[in-house]
Amino acid sequence: MIYLLEDAINGILMGSIYGLAALGLTLIFGVLKVINFAHGSLLMVGMYAAYWAVLLTGAHPYLALVIVLPLMFAFGYLLQAVVIQPIFKAEREVREPITVIIVTTGVWYILDNLALLVFGPQYRNIQDNPLRGKMIEAGEMLISVPKLWGFCAALVTAALVWLFLQKTRMGRAVRATSLDRDAASLQGINPYRIYNIAFGLGTAVAGVAGVALVPFYNVFPTVGVLFDIKCFIIVVLGGLGSIGGALLGGMIIGVIESVGPQFMTATWTEAIVYGLFLGFLFLRPSGLFGVKYDW
Amino acid sequence: MPLFVRSATYLHILILLLLYAYLTTSWNLVGGFAGVLPLGHAAFVGIGAYTSTVLSLQYGVSPWVGMIVGGFLSTLVGVLIGLPTFKMRGAYFALATIAFAEGLRVMVENIDRLGPFLLNGPRGLQIPPLELGFGRFMFAEKEPYYYIILAMLVLAVGITWVVSRSKLGYCLAAGGEEPEAAQSLGINVARVKLVAMAISSFLTSLAGTFWAQFTLYIHPKSVMSLDISFEIAFIALIGGRGSIAGPLLGALLLRPVSDFSRIHFGDTLPGLHLVIFGGVLILVMLYQPRGLQEPLTRLYRRAMARWAGMRERG
Repeated sequence: MIYLLEDAINGILMGSIYGLAALGLTLIFGVLKVINFAHGSLLMVGMYAAYWAVLLTGAHPYLALVIVLPLMFAFGYLLQAVVIQPIFKAEREVREPITVIIVTTGVWYILDNLALLVFGPQYRNIQDNPLRGKMIEAGEMLISVPKLWGFCAALVTAALVWLFLQKTRMGRAVRATSLDRDAASLQGINPYRIYNIAFGLGTAVAGVAGVALVPFYNVFPTVGVLFDIKCFIIVVLGGLGSIGGALLGGMIIGVIESVGPQFMTATWTEAIVYGLFLGFLFLRPSGLFGVKYDW
Repeated sequence: MPLFVRSATYLHILILLLLYAYLTTSWNLVGGFAGVLPLGHAAFVGIGAYTSTVLSLQYGVSPWVGMIVGGFLSTLVGVLIGLPTFKMRGAYFALATIAFAEGLRVMVENIDRLGPFLLNGPRGLQIPPLELGFGRFMFAEKEPYYYIILAMLVLAVGITWVVSRSKLGYCLAAGGEEPEAAQSLGINVARVKLVAMAISSFLTSLAGTFWAQFTLYIHPKSVMSLDISFEIAFIALIGGRGSIAGPLLGALLLRPVSDFSRIHFGDTLPGLHLVIFGGVLILVMLYQPRGLQEPLTRLYRRAMARWAGMRERG
């Protein structure tokens, strides 16, 4: 019983990091109304950035955030401005241009395979870092320290994003654009700039997830694919565009993945997650907290 | 088309080119004409490959019969996926197809025995080349495979041609471009999309059986991987979705790139062809959203018009 509880707690912690990764995706969807298929690859870029920042400077793994955060924001901002924006301008009357899915899939393939070309296929991890394999004992349970920090990072990031959207002038402009692009531009908001900012923000959140993952997770070129599909599942589960839904969806997946192997072969849990996803798609496509109108 | 290639390597590449042209043509029926974005067609390839292989290994059924059984099984599955998802917006359909294909792959990887059927989990199934001949869909040389896949491609292109000129084709095009307008004209958009999905999944499944008989070894990663689904979609999108020539042109341009970059740079520059694919895909989507077939078709029409004019003037 105690093992079950231990697994559930570690599952919630790991799941919140999945939720953190999915938060960027749901943020971008909420504003641009398109699914960014390259999101996992952006996470991969964030992980490599964090990895090299730590390795080259020798600083504490979480200090990498100082470099990774602005870098990823700029990367996302430019990606949207250069690659995705032309499609929005070309298909002005389409609310959710499906072409964006295709283009971001192209970005995914380019980023993943460029990483393979440049860094090679090997799994990398930061060998001597103070967090690696560190556990705290709570009674008879062992709880991973880097996952616990990741959990805190997820909650803080979600709160900050929520505050930004609700309390700042820019946040209000972002929400207005997400509600109605044309009406927002009539109020003097430049929707394309808002899109750039939202995309940059979503990418920066993926960067935070990358920093949280690097102390205990392997970095390799296709690590993004692992998270990509997980993120899709999480955002649909939680409701596309919902911040709380992303965190909760992530935790559900995390608990299934960590408690499941007590009852079945570990690989079966993956099948269960897909089954759950399809069930939600068919029965409740708006997810746990999604807005009915959107679907 | 007579066979002009002598080297076994080039013949292999040519067969793969035709196979992908066939797969993409089948995909195009739903991905092109119906205006949705299916990203899980590998599931049908897998169903086709596994159905015919299990039936022939365990029950001695000819793969040709297994091919048809697999086709109907895929049709059923395709309709079951399409039924709830065609009513949703485009992105949801794309996600549902990915999730279904990946879920199916994970399940097959985890199942050694499905009732009486031996699937052998991640290790896959090997087809021992004991009985050669047309009836067993097994040949010592590659030439028969070449003619079979060529015939299949001609059939698929023929079906596409017929569909694109039928009432179904017009309903599909209308439903893909302007679903609300089409609905107001009395077209049941979800239903015509389902019909397209049924045809497409049937045809795609046949390629699975072909693939199994051509390589004589199948495992979940080889016949149901996400990479297959994406490569099919990439070829169609770059060539030009919704046109008959698009998939053929796309396969003709992209398959050699991937084969030759794997042969020549496979060890030094892995993944190079996928970087090229991704780059070309983005450029095509930005500057030529109807695919590369469009400027070529225009060029062809202009050339034909000029030629006709020259003939008139004598």
